[in-house]
Order: sequence, then structure tokens, then C-alpha cells
Amino acid sequence: MAGVSVAAEWQLLYNRYYRKSEIYQMQWKNVDLARNKIACAPFGGPIAVIRDDAKIVQLYAESALRKLRIFTASGVLISETIWKNPGGRLIGMSWTDDLILVCITQDGSVYFYNIHAELVNTFSLGKECNENSVVECLFSGNGVVCINEAFEIFSLPDLKMPKTVKLPDCNLEGLPNCMAVIDPQCTKSGDIELLMGVGDHVLSVEEDGIQQLAPGIGPLQKMVVSRRGEYVACFTHDGRLLVLSVDFSNVIIEYTCESSLPPDQLAWCGLDSILLCWDDMLLMVGPFGDPVRYIYDDPIILIPENDGVRILSDKTMEFLHRVPDSTVSIFQIGSTSPAALLYDALDHFDRKSAKADENLRLIRSSLPEAVEACIDAAGYEYDKYLQRTLLRAASYGQTFASHVQRDSIREMCKILRILNGVRSVEIGIPLSIQQYKLLTPTVLINRLVYARKHLLAFRISEFLSMNQETVLMNWTCTKISESSAVPDSTLLEILLEKLKTCKGISYAAVAAHADKSGRRKLAAMLVQHEPHGSKQIPLLLSIGEEDNALTKAVEIGDTDLVYLVLFHILQKRAPLDFFVTIQARTLARDLFITYARSFKREFLKDFFLSAGQLHEVAFLLWAESWKHAKNPIKGHRIIVIKKAHELFKNTKEHMFESKAAEEHAELLKIQHELEATTKQAVFVDSSISDTIRTCIVLGNHQAANKVKTTFKVSEKRWYWLKVFALATIRDWTALENFSKEKRPPISYRPFVEACTDAGEKSEALKYIPKLADPRERAEAYARIGMEKEAAEAASQAKDGEGELLGRLKMTLSQSASATSIFDTLRSSFPGVSSQF
Amino acid sequence: MSQIPNLENAPINLAAIRARARSELEIILKNIRGDKCLVMDPKLGGSLSFLIHSSDLKEHGAELRYLTPEPIQTERTKVIYLVRAQLDFMKFISSHIHSDTSKGIQREYHLYFVPRRLVVCEKILVEEKVHSLLNIGEFPLYMIPLDEDVLSFELDLAQKEYLVDGDTTCLWHIAKAIHSLEFSFGIIPNIMTKGKAAARVADMLGCLQAEEPANTSDVNVPEINTLILLDREVDMVTPMCSQMTYEGLLDEFIGINNGALEVDASVMGVQQEGKKTRVPLNSSDKLYKEIRDLNFEVVIQVLRQKATSMKQDYTDITNTTQVSELKDFVRKLHSLPEMTRHINLAQHLSTLTSKPSFHGKLDMEQTLVEAESYEICFDYVEELIHKQEPLEDVLRLLVLLSITNSGLPKKNFDYLRREFLHSYGFEHISTLYNLEKAGLFKKQDSKSNWLTIKRAFQLVVENRDTSNPKDISYVFSGYAPLSVRLIQQAMRSGWRPIEEILKLLPGPHSETKRRGMSYEKQPGYTSSSEILDGGRRPLVFVVFIGGVTFAEISALRFLSSQEGMAYELLVGTTRIVNGRSLIETFVDKLG
Repeated sequence: MAGVSVAAEWQLLYNRYYRKSEIYQMQWKNVDLARNKIACAPFGGPIAVIRDDAKIVQLYAESALRKLRIFTASGVLISETIWKNPGGRLIGMSWTDDLILVCITQDGSVYFYNIHAELVNTFSLGKECNENSVVECLFSGNGVVCINEAFEIFSLPDLKMPKTVKLPDCNLEGLPNCMAVIDPQCTKSGDIELLMGVGDHVLSVEEDGIQQLAPGIGPLQKMVVSRRGEYVACFTHDGRLLVLSVDFSNVIIEYTCESSLPPDQLAWCGLDSILLCWDDMLLMVGPFGDPVRYIYDDPIILIPENDGVRILSDKTMEFLHRVPDSTVSIFQIGSTSPAALLYDALDHFDRKSAKADENLRLIRSSLPEAVEACIDAAGYEYDKYLQRTLLRAASYGQTFASHVQRDSIREMCKILRILNGVRSVEIGIPLSIQQYKLLTPTVLINRLVYARKHLLAFRISEFLSMNQETVLMNWTCTKISESSAVPDSTLLEILLEKLKTCKGISYAAVAAHADKSGRRKLAAMLVQHEPHGSKQIPLLLSIGEEDNALTKAVEIGDTDLVYLVLFHILQKRAPLDFFVTIQARTLARDLFITYARSFKREFLKDFFLSAGQLHEVAFLLWAESWKHAKNPIKGHRIIVIKKAHELFKNTKEHMFESKAAEEHAELLKIQHELEATTKQAVFVDSSISDTIRTCIVLGNHQAANKVKTTFKVSEKRWYWLKVFALATIRDWTALENFSKEKRPPISYRPFVEACTDAGEKSEALKYIPKLADPRERAEAYARIGMEKEAAEAASQAKDGEGELLGRLKMTLSQSASATSIFDTLRSSFPGVSSQF
Repeated sequence: MSQIPNLENAPINLAAIRARARSELEIILKNIRGDKCLVMDPKLGGSLSFLIHSSDLKEHGAELRYLTPEPIQTERTKVIYLVRAQLDFMKFISSHIHSDTSKGIQREYHLYFVPRRLVVCEKILVEEKVHSLLNIGEFPLYMIPLDEDVLSFELDLAQKEYLVDGDTTCLWHIAKAIHSLEFSFGIIPNIMTKGKAAARVADMLGCLQAEEPANTSDVNVPEINTLILLDREVDMVTPMCSQMTYEGLLDEFIGINNGALEVDASVMGVQQEGKKTRVPLNSSDKLYKEIRDLNFEVVIQVLRQKATSMKQDYTDITNTTQVSELKDFVRKLHSLPEMTRHINLAQHLSTLTSKPSFHGKLDMEQTLVEAESYEICFDYVEELIHKQEPLEDVLRLLVLLSITNSGLPKKNFDYLRREFLHSYGFEHISTLYNLEKAGLFKKQDSKSNWLTIKRAFQLVVENRDTSNPKDISYVFSGYAPLSVRLIQQAMRSGWRPIEEILKLLPGPHSETKRRGMSYEKQPGYTSSSEILDGGRRPLVFVVFIGGVTFAEISALRFLSSQEGMAYELLVGTTRIVNGRSLIETFVDKLG
């Protein structure tokens, strides 16, 4: 059968099959794992290699200076740099989740490298680690725990933040036999937890306390915690492998090894088995049954993944993992599962054998499961030929089955296409399907971008219809950084061609990067393409393009942005320069004036002066004159107004204002005098008309006349004012005398109105007959309710349309009639008005 | 009855807009735990009464205060300022904090800007050294439904700010508000504008759409078919005239603020000395909905008929024994409070409208609008100034006189200005300057074309049957508001046929179809005037930049209710205005 060769390479551990398949022949040359310190990132991540300075090694034809080299998981060199950092021996080296290489040296310095071997950050673990050298460090995810020579323990829960926490003192007298760290995500307290094999027990150390566990378990030689922090595997001094729950209360597996020599490495392979690695032997122990043995000639490094372990040697990268159930059901020797028969049927079909049909008949009822199993199994294969055959089997079966999820095959093809893409030797990310799902496509794309595999990242995000913005953005920024020799306009064209394919990309962000890379001109060109004005403007400001920013802000019309630019320019430029800048832009100028009017008046005056708008300065001065009202030197207020008067005189258009200011000053002078002579503070700040009225009311006719002549008050106005003032003090005799002084310039209307308004019917009657216009007369009569006289007067008026009569009637009757309607309404609902 | 109107019959889901605003406010209050003192600027406080009852605010542990220059008197240690982003408020807040600090009072200060934080405001806070003491946030309240067919952007000073100060912040606000409507109701496919500010808003809307495209994937057909943006500047005549509808007159004489009137309790028939009563006015009051848009003369007749029929019912019921009839009667009685309310108000109004001075004023407005006897009008205004009549009334007519004549001859202009300053004081030089800058009261610079406009749009309608009106002119008893005539024209045939006349009015005009919208590709979408699902007519959103009067809204409602009218109307405005309130924004005393 076809599957025999596949299953032949499996090993049985109790009732489960494991397989170890080679993923890569390592591309590197002359890398000897034994001579080097190695850090491998999970999820098929990169490998960091540096000569181990803790070992005495012979130098070949190489420099004495050490080199930090970073390879892909397939052994392709990504980058290298010479290790020149001081701080003594390199104690620990590990990758964080976002693929930053963390190196800790003896003196407690922490160095961060990106995969391009560029130092991106560095900080110190603190004074204690500096004084007493770090001797041991243990990484867990994004955290680390260190021990120094004084056996003080420090933890750094998050490597991104340089905040060292000193763990409680455990009174250690020597380095513990073994240690393990539990990731903060898996502990109850949410802090990092350290397990140490000390003497014959285990200490659990956390920020807020120490706990002794498993007394009498005996000295432990090696310890490793499972992925999710549920179990711990230990190797005892007497050669036993123990698997316990993490609180050491429950022994789950106990296996006695042939040797009590502790293994070099101990690792979980998924959750089902433990790997022990000695010099030349790899031992896999499961819960039951005999362990599986692999023999190696070269040293190896175990790289635990969530679904298995990768094994790195000088020559190869292998993946050891449990054979998934679907694969077993197809390829197990002698399997008669529907999936196996379907796979077989395809083989017959390919060979044009009629047996294909026979097989299909046999499994007709369970065809959907068989198809699913083939699809599933395809996902686990690294071998493209097998992937294809399994998918073809699934597709072959699908044509005969009616109830199959039709999308499954397509989905799986998509995933495999991506996986095969990233697994290729050049890219070197050997993700399994389970790792891929756990890592998520987004993170994978980010990693590719990070590794500057932009095209693949772009294609994958396109393929998955994800937003390509991040990829494109990163490409652009990288391109800018790398193209320092390319002229701005050429580079701009290259960039725009790519950027325009992606809608909604932030040109402002690209421009900001260009600016940071020292290409201000390019930044200015790029920012023109940004559709978001609000993003464009701060950037234009930061690259010193204030005028552009101002023009743009005015164009957009968002006053907030205009103010932002205004204040920026105001700070940067000399006042005169600033004035020139805003003078040409109406909106900017108007906004500045609005703001300055309340908060920067002196500055505003400077502006108006510089712009030659003297009348505006005059208005400001005039307004200020009121603030001088309480000034003891009363003359000062008048001086300010006179200054305004002079300024107004400079422009022909403001002669009116100039005259008004002059009059105002004069008025104030007279009012001050009046207040002084009458000892009544009622004049200042009243109008000319009011001043006249007040004078008359106070009986000071002479003063009233003086105001009248000073300000050339017209006879018309004078009559109204005097009549009203006399009516106010109800001096009807004086009123009558005034009416007889001479013929009033606007007939006797003021007299009639004043008397009518005051309710003095008889007084009004003195003047009504004197009204020349019969219309006016009629209306006046009507107002005091004399219907007959009104009608008579109206008949004398030439009122062709009878409009006047109608209106009179309304005046006479409306109030009365309307009221009567409402009164009848009210009386019909007793109590209505008071209730509601 | 509540000041919060019922929005069930709104043409678009205004209730959702209100609910969102309300919940945003509640989140702000919830996030600041415990007892607090909520300080609002008075205008905003008024606006919020359309949104939430003050008792609900108190339920969130908030003690309510209005923002004034005086320090706040409160025991609470947490103070939330909820204010519009206005410069003078920043001074107040700074002085409050300084006063607290000087007294050694420690408080937690929160400042929420409505609708968004502004650089210029924060600049002042920084200069006053209080910026770091404030937790600053935003309450993005861009608009409030005043009624089921009216949306307000609550920008009281809009017109003065952009005409006099050149500050276009309010235009941005309007564009932003419309843009946010597009997020909910789809991109409005047709935009018509008239006037400078309108053109500017349309530009800004275009910018916003380019920057942040409204996602219309879940809106099949846009719910708003056409947007008409109208700059108040185009028609300043209408608001200067006295409104003659019931609602308009209530606003003119008593003043409707935030959807309610405040009158002496005695007017409403409650005998309490000197007490004021609040009367909410919106379409939740069915009787009000029926009569608000009618000419006041007709309102009296309608009320009389209703009262008479009720009186008849009342007599009948005393003779009946039938339970069902009793039930009927009781049902009718439910409308009694509404009846009483409006009878009281109408009576109060009629005592005010019957004054001869009011009739004189109406006559003069008519004469001014007819614009055929300049001398009479000039003399009348001159006399008002000499008599020192209330400032706003005088300015209203002054503005009417100036606009209908394209300004006054220099001699007259200077003369009236002088008389004005002599009568009301020199401090009003800045009021005059404001009006001049805004083009409302100015020197004549060209021949007036008002007569042409008046004739082209048939603004003065002789045949006025107020009880059974055939034309919108009933709202001003014979004058058809120019603004509404423009809208009528826009809806009927667009700007094309009247382009020549439009050029006589201030500012540019435009008519655009917005392209590239996803729904255009859908096969179901054919023509704009097609009746939408549910038998609704396509909706036209009319936005008045600078304010709208109640009478104009009434005229629009009248248009919308006419037979054969293809569109439904929704009104948007910076605020509700009348001549007085509009003039008040320009009044500015020096000192």
C-alpha cells in the first residue's frame, strides 16, 4: 500500500505514534553548536549564535573578536555584528515574543538587538546586579529572572519596561541545583514565579513571598515547566524522571532512567511526552510504556513548540511531534479506516484500476469523514507531494459525497500555500499548521515585514484580503531609510507608485518618517499627498513648513487647525514677521484679531499699526476709555478719546467716527461739569438725548439749552425730548407754554402722544384739534376712545379704500371684543382657569 | 408636558441622535464617580433641556450650577465644567480655580468641551496656568432636535461671528454635524447652496467626506435626498419683519427659549403674585401642533370654534345617561388643559397685538418691503430714534431700510448714525460698526435691486386670505419670505431658471450632484424623486446658516403639506431667531 513508507518512519510510544521529520538541511557552514551560545525563537523564529565565552575553544581562521550572528531557522544568515559590548561574560540570551534578542551580561546590562543585529535598546538591571555579577538567568516569554553572586534574585516581569523587582531573600548558600520559571500569564498572582530545587526540597519564590514545596523529594537535578504552567517535569539525583502538578502535590508519572547522570536538556514535547537529552542520546518518555530512543552523533538543541519539539543540530533542523489522528488513520499499516480507503481509492484511480470504485462503495456512508480526515492530514504534512496527494484524495472523495463542507479544501489550500511560502529555505519559518493558527496570520505578516520580506508579506495579506497598509507602510519607511542616495523626486515617484495601490494609507506617517530620516524636502513633497488635513498640518509644522501649514489650514477651514498653526508661528517668529505672514490670509488674520481682542490687546494694536489700520487702533483706544471711568484723574479718559479722534482723522472713510469721538469727549466734559454743579452723579455715560432730558427733568433748562446748542441738536429731536421730559414730571402747564413758544417743527404730534401715553385725555384734547393731517387727527381721537370725532376726522381724510376706517374700528374694538370672546369662553367652563 | 419633544413622527431617526447624545452625557457623568458639581454655561444648559431632565442629571449625583464669573459655591470636591468652547468661559474657569487655590480649597476639576476641544481655548488655560489642573475631555454635541422636523446646531452667535469677526468656527461645526448625519443616514446625493457661508460649508463637507468617508455600506438608499444650504445673509429682510403666525408672535412678544415660554403666572390664570410659569411648546401638544403655524387671526377663530363645540358637549352631557357618551365626553375633556393653555396665551397675545404702535410698525414694515416710498420710511425711522424707542426695534427697521435700498445715501447714513449715537450713547459706535461690517446697515454703493427681486419672487402678495391660505405669504400677512421662496424654487426646478435673479442676491450659488457613491451602482436605485419605501416622500434637508424664524418654519411646513408636493422637509438651523434676537448679537457696547 501507498502509505507504508510513510508509517515506516514512525515510532510507537505506548499507543501513540511519533514522527521525526527533517525540515531543513541547515544552510550555514562552520557553525558548531558545541562552541557557541545559541538562542532559538519559537514559532520557527530566528536563531542567534555567538561564540560561548564560558567555554575554552580553539580559534580557527577567525577573528578573536566575537561575532553575533542571526540566522533563519533554515540557517540562512540574516545579519551579523561584532560583539563589542563591555560588561563581561554573556550570561543569558533569548528572544522575546516580538523577536527582539535580549542579551544579559555579567554586569547586569541588558542589550536588545533586532533581527538585523542592530542594537535598539539597552539598560541596566540595577546596582545590585552591577556590584555582584549576574551568574545565572532564566527567561520565560517576555520576562527574566536573574541571580547574582550574592545569591540575590531579581525579576524583570516585562523586558519592555526597565523595572527590576527584587524577589524576597531565600538565604541561599550556593546556586540552586536547578531552576524553572513560570510565566506570569500562568500564575495565580499574575507575577513571575520562580521554582528552585534547593537541598531536598523546592522553593517557590514570588514577589510577595517564599513557599517551600515537596519536602523530601530529594535533590532535583533538572526541572522544566509545561507550556501552560500546569505541570512540572523533574530529574532527581537518583535518576528518576518525575512529572508532577505544578504545586508538587501530585506525582503523575515516575520513570527510572538507566543512568542517574542528569540530562543536558529536558523538554516537553507537546503535553504528552518528555524529552531527555544526553550527549549522544535523545530519550522520549511517555506516561506509559517503553521510551523511544534516538541516537545522535552531534550535539543538538531542543526547541519546544506548542505541538512538538524542533531539534537543531549542526546539519539539520528536525521536527519531532505526535502523529495526528487523521494521519494515523490514513497511513497506519493495515488501516481500513474510511480515510485510508479513500486515499487508496485515489491511488487505484490514478492507476486506472476498477478497485477505486470498489473502495468508494465500501465507505460510501462515511465519505464525508474520510474527506475531512484527508484534508486535515494534508495540513500536517511538510512534504508538498504528500499534501497534494492528500488534498487530491479529499477532492476525489468530495465529488461522490453530498454533505461535505465545500470550503474546507479551499481553506486548507490557502493555508498550505502560505505555510509552504514561509517554509521555503530562503524565508526559513518552518511553522506547523497548529503553530500558524496559534501565531495568527497578522503576527506572521508582521514578522515577515520585520524580516524585510515585504513582497511575501504583501502577497499574503492580499491573498487573505487583509489590510495591506502596515506592510506597505513599513516597506515605504524601510525604502526611505535605505535609499539615502536616491534623489528626492525619484524616490517620491517610486514610493507614490506603490502607495497609491492602498487606500487610506497615511502619507503623513510616511512623511514623518522621511523627516526623521533627515529628508525634509521629501517629507514636504509626501505630505502634499495626505488627504487628512488634520494629520498634514502638525507634520508640516514639525518640518518647518509653517507657511504651507497655514495656507493648508485656511484651505481646510477648520479654525482649530488655523489656531494651531498661528500659535506655532507666533512662538517662532518675530512679531513683524508674524504680522506679515497673517496679513495676506484673511481667515488667519481674523482669527488672530478675535483672539487678541480679548487677550493680547497691546499686541493687537501693534498689529493694526503695522498694517496701517489706524482706525482699528482708534476703536481699541475708544473702548479702553471706559475702563478709565473710575480713574481719579478724570481728564485721562478724555485724553484717550481725543487720541482716538486724532487717529480716525487719518483716513477719509472715518471722518464720521472722528467727529463722534470729538463729540463724545466734549459730552464727557460737559457731563463732568454738570455733575459738579448739580452735585448729582447722574450724567456721566448717558447719551446726549438723555442728558437733555435729565436737565429738563431737574428743571435746569439753561443747561439743557446749552447741550442742545453745543451738539447742534435738531429742532425735531429737541421737541420730542423736551415734550417727553415735561410729561415725565407731569408739568402740563410748562408743556402748554412750550407748545405756544412757536409753531412746532413736527406738528403737535409729540404733545398728543405724550399726553395720551400719560393717560391725560383732557391734556391731549388741547392739541388734537391742532393736528393738521385729518388722518393723524382721526387716529388720535380713536386712541382716546372718541369714536364720533374719529369718524368725522376720517371722513375728511381722502381715504379711498376705507382702509383707515377699518383700522380705526379695529383699534377701537379689538381689545374690547377679543376680551369679550375670551370671557364668554371662560364662563362656559366654571373652574377651568383655576384648575389648569 | 415635557420640554423634551416627542420625535416619533420625525422623517429620519432623530430620536437616535438624541439618545446617542444623551448616553454620551451620561457616560461622562458616570465616569466621574460620586458626588459632583456640574457647571454648565447657561446657553448649553438651555440646550440640554431638549435632551435630558435636570432631575436625571441630579440622579447621577450632580449638583447643577451655571457658569458665571463668580466663584462656584459648592461643598463638592469634584467639579465638572461642561461648556461650549468659547474664549470668555476659559477666563471664568481659570478665575474659579485661582479663587479655590487662594482659599486653599482642593478640588478635582474636569473640563468637557462642547463639541470639541480647541487649541485656542487650551492656550488660554495654559497661559492662566490651570491647564495641568484640569482633566480635559469632549462632549461631541453638534446638534439637537428641537422638534420632530427641526434640528438645531445651537450656535447662537454664528452669524455675527462669521460676518463681523470672520470667524468660521461655526461653519466647520455645521459641516461636521451634517457629515455625522451622513454617517447614519447615507451620503446626501444632491447639494444646493446659496450664499458665501453656504458655499463654504459645502466645501468643508467635501473636505470632511474626502478625509473620512462616511461608511454607507449598511445604508441602501440615502435617507436624505437633497441638502439645501442657505446663508441667512441672502435674506435678512425676512427676520426683520414681524412674524404673524401664532408661534412667531409668541416668540416676538414673549420669547420662546429652548422650546418653552416664560410668562407671568397670572397670564395662565394662576393667581400668584409675580410668579413666572414655564410653558413648554412643541408638537407633543396636539392642539399646539395644529395651530402653531396658522396666522394668529385664524388661531382665535379656531380656538373659538373648539370652545363652542366643547360648550355644546358640556350642555349635552348634563342631559345624558348613556355611559358611552360620558366616556366620549371624558375623552374630549383630556384636551381641556391644552385648550385652556392656548386660550390663555392667545388672549394675552391679543392684548399685545391690538396696540396701535404695533399696527404702526406693521404698516411701516409693509411699506419698507414694498420699497416704493423711501421718504416716508426714512422719516418714520428718524422719529423712532428721536423718541428713543427700544434699541432693537429701531435697528430692525434701520436694517430693513438699508437692505431694501442697498444701503443709504451717504448724507442720510451719516445723519441717522449721528442721531442714533446722540440718542443711545456713543458706546454704540461699535454696534454701528458691526452692522456696517456685516453689510446690514451701510452706505449706498449701488442701485438697489430689491424691487426686481420683489417682483421676480412675488414677495408681496395682495390676495391674503389668512384662514384658507393658498400661499406662504400668510405667515407675514402679505409678505412671502424670500428665503422660503428660494427653497420653493430650488425644489421645483433647481437654480437654473432663476440664475439671473440669484445673482442679484449676495453670495454665490451652486448645485452639485455627488458622485462615486456606492448606491448608484445598485440596480434598484433609479431616480431621486421616486417615492421611497413605506410611501415616504424623498427628504429635503434645509439648513439655515445664521438662523431661521418660526414663521419661516411654518411656511416650510405649509409647503410640505401642499398637495402634489414631492418632498418632505426637515429644517436645520444654527438657532431659532427673530428680528430682536438676531439684532442683539450685533449690539456691542464699547467699554
